[in-house]
Amino acid sequence: MREEENFMIILRTVFWKIMGVSVLLLSFNTWAVADSPTDTIRSTVERARAVLDDPAYQGDDHRQQRLEKVKAVVLPQFDSQEIARRTLGPYWKDRTDEQRKEFIQLFTALVEKAYSSSLDRYSKGVQFFFDQERIDNDIAEVDTRIFDPTLNKTFSINYRLRQVNGQWLIYDVVVENVSLVNNYRNQFNRILSKSSYEDLLQKLQTKLQQLDTASPSES
Amino acid sequence: MTVRILLAALMSVSILSGAGSPRAAHAQTKATADEEVPARPKLGAEELAPPPTPDPLEWFNQPVFEFNLKLDEYALRPVATAYDAVMPDAAQRGVQRFFKNLGVVERFANNLFQGKVPQAGQEVGRFVINTTIGGIGFLDVADEWLGWKESPEDFGQTLAVYGVSSGPYLMLPFFGPSTVRDTVGLVADGAMNPMAYFLSTVELLAVRGGMALGSGINYRSLNLELFEDVNRYTVDLYGAVQDAYLQRRERQIEE
Repeated sequence: MREEENFMIILRTVFWKIMGVSVLLLSFNTWAVADSPTDTIRSTVERARAVLDDPAYQGDDHRQQRLEKVKAVVLPQFDSQEIARRTLGPYWKDRTDEQRKEFIQLFTALVEKAYSSSLDRYSKGVQFFFDQERIDNDIAEVDTRIFDPTLNKTFSINYRLRQVNGQWLIYDVVVENVSLVNNYRNQFNRILSKSSYEDLLQKLQTKLQQLDTASPSES
Repeated sequence: MTVRILLAALMSVSILSGAGSPRAAHAQTKATADEEVPARPKLGAEELAPPPTPDPLEWFNQPVFEFNLKLDEYALRPVATAYDAVMPDAAQRGVQRFFKNLGVVERFANNLFQGKVPQAGQEVGRFVINTTIGGIGFLDVADEWLGWKESPEDFGQTLAVYGVSSGPYLMLPFFGPSTVRDTVGLVADGAMNPMAYFLSTVELLAVRGGMALGSGINYRSLNLELFEDVNRYTVDLYGAVQDAYLQRRERQIEE
């Protein structure tokens, strides 16, 4: 009897051990499959570039389609809530869920527009360099450079990412040593500390209206 | 003489105003907002982010900023646009290099002050080569053929290396964003220029101002679209310019 009991105990332990190892292996497997931060940036850049180089999307007539297509590639790589949260800084916690949602939407629209006009200046000779990455737990930074042959100039662009559910998402872009999040935070904080959140919203909305009325192909 | 008095006065202001400097505030931002990848990601730390960059001289900076914008709108931009239309880009870049080549004395001295002896030597080499073979500085053959890169050190950076804090953010007419320390640097660099021995302070300032304007127009015409973009996508242009200057400056000093 005692021997049988022992046997059962051993069996049970072995069973759980096997289970444990396989769970571990599985998780290791998914971990190994997940893209590195540089892979994420590189593949996004390459897919965006493929759209910009696509003969079907050339010229001013196809601008809107081209932008939509690039947006579909690029936007999912951004953690827009995290970006919004960081730009509002200490004022984020005072916002209701609804206000946060509205703010994310307005701010994302502004950044989108800012970036679409720089896409208009893209030319085929543009070269991308992926220099290095630094990872610290679930935060990473990928240093890249862009060479623009029309300006004959190299710009540094660093991406800051954080891992959300196993996926690396961008929460800040540092262009020529100027962090987008820090820069907007300084602007927003100046407005918020001097007037009110409503005023900031008003200013964002006015800005977006101005950008909408300006003809897009003009730039 | 007057330059020296002005320098001493500005220097003492710069040293005295160490506390509450934008740079100190920025160092704080850094720790809280993952400017560098932190040892352990502090999620939610940005709620603790500091209030906007301290700006005790805002009463002065704001009107000067408005003045600079008007200057840009009515003088710099139209001139730069016209200039851009007639001057090929390659020529514009040549002009940019020409202006940069003239700053050799400052770069040499400041590299030396910061103990960057090889870079100081390379600056001399660059000047000799670019001024002769490079056609009085229009071409940067020293970089292209020999890989001798420019080492852009200025007196503001030298002061920073010696521990002088930036002092308050300061918007200068014509010259643009700066800090009290970097303004001292600007004046010192101006005094270091060989022209300082031949010209009075007023003449020197006029010449430097003129040079700044000349290279400003050239720079502006090279980056017409870039400036439009910045203007278009900011909600608070003053804050955007202030932050961009301080972030970039901090990085330059680190390097």
